[in-house]
Amino acid sequence: MSGAGGNATQQLRLARHHHRNQRQSHYSHTSFTSTDNQNVRCSPFATYLPTNTPNRVVFALLIINKAGGLVYNRTFAPGLQKLDGNDYLILAGTFHGIHAISRQINPAPAAQHLPGYRRPPTTGLESLESSHFRLTCFQTPTGVKFLLFTSPEQPNTEVVVRRCYEIYGDYVMKNPFYSMEMPIRVEKFDRALGGYLVRP
Amino acid sequence: MSVYAFFIFDRHTECIYTKRWAPVPPPQQPPTTNGYARGATDASILARKALKAEDDAKLIFGTVFSLRRMVRQLGGEDDQFLSYRTAEYKLHYFETPTQLKFLMLTDTRVGNMRTALHQIWATLYVEYVVKSPLSPAEHPKGVGVANELFDGGLESFIASLFAPQ
Repeated sequence: MSGAGGNATQQLRLARHHHRNQRQSHYSHTSFTSTDNQNVRCSPFATYLPTNTPNRVVFALLIINKAGGLVYNRTFAPGLQKLDGNDYLILAGTFHGIHAISRQINPAPAAQHLPGYRRPPTTGLESLESSHFRLTCFQTPTGVKFLLFTSPEQPNTEVVVRRCYEIYGDYVMKNPFYSMEMPIRVEKFDRALGGYLVRP
Repeated sequence: MSVYAFFIFDRHTECIYTKRWAPVPPPQQPPTTNGYARGATDASILARKALKAEDDAKLIFGTVFSLRRMVRQLGGEDDQFLSYRTAEYKLHYFETPTQLKFLMLTDTRVGNMRTALHQIWATLYVEYVVKSPLSPAEHPKGVGVANELFDGGLESFIASLFAPQ
């Protein structure tokens, strides 16, 4: 198991840099067909998620590419209204726009800094609360947005959404047959996400 | 904890009240010798600022309107949009049954402000605007909302909420 853990650590580290220009080198020593990471719940990174909390519900995960198109859409638990595919596409486009606007209407004053200080880039909408669900949005440096719909009681949603990003890095970005900006149809990604987010 | 702005929108999507708690502006530049040119630039800066405030209100309304629709679509008809947060600010939202929308922009450390917005509606807006014999039933361009009592009441209420500990 220690070998699998080491491999997973390496994959994680590499996944964080997947947007850099190193993807070619990944293929030489990362085997996405190996059985090491097939069951993600065995991975050492899943240990911070308690498995026996009843109100921990993840409703759905949406992935929006940098152009505002919906590339992945999956429901894990009932709780949200059923929408058809077209409505999800419209929702993704709308959210993409709102995210950009919410960055522009920032009313917070710019703090005084020493010359040479580089301000961190302003982020758009990160978390939305309604009376039935909570939406956590995580935008990667490359502009891909991960939208996680959970119950309002769900703690640590930022951690969960980042772990989804890691799974995306492992199984989608390292898949040589995946074409960028296109809908994600990767079976191992589906299985890994299911293993992580679906509660028995 | 600090508050940045407060808005009321009526059911015709119009902004009928705005209040901003502006941060302290940076020190003015020293006066130039050409008084005429300086006056002109001041006027244009003021005009641009007013335009920006108006645009901001429209952008905020558009954002909230879309989010509200999105929340209804996903959570069902009885779901209500409560707030959203970015890394820099947080927007709190409260809608009355008459579709009057109360919005507040604060920093991110502020907790749930829904009860505070409800209180502004129930104890300030209803008392000083709705019950005012001088104010019309609708408020096109904010007529009758920004009266002295409402303004002062809101000011002191917000000051008591965000009082320095």
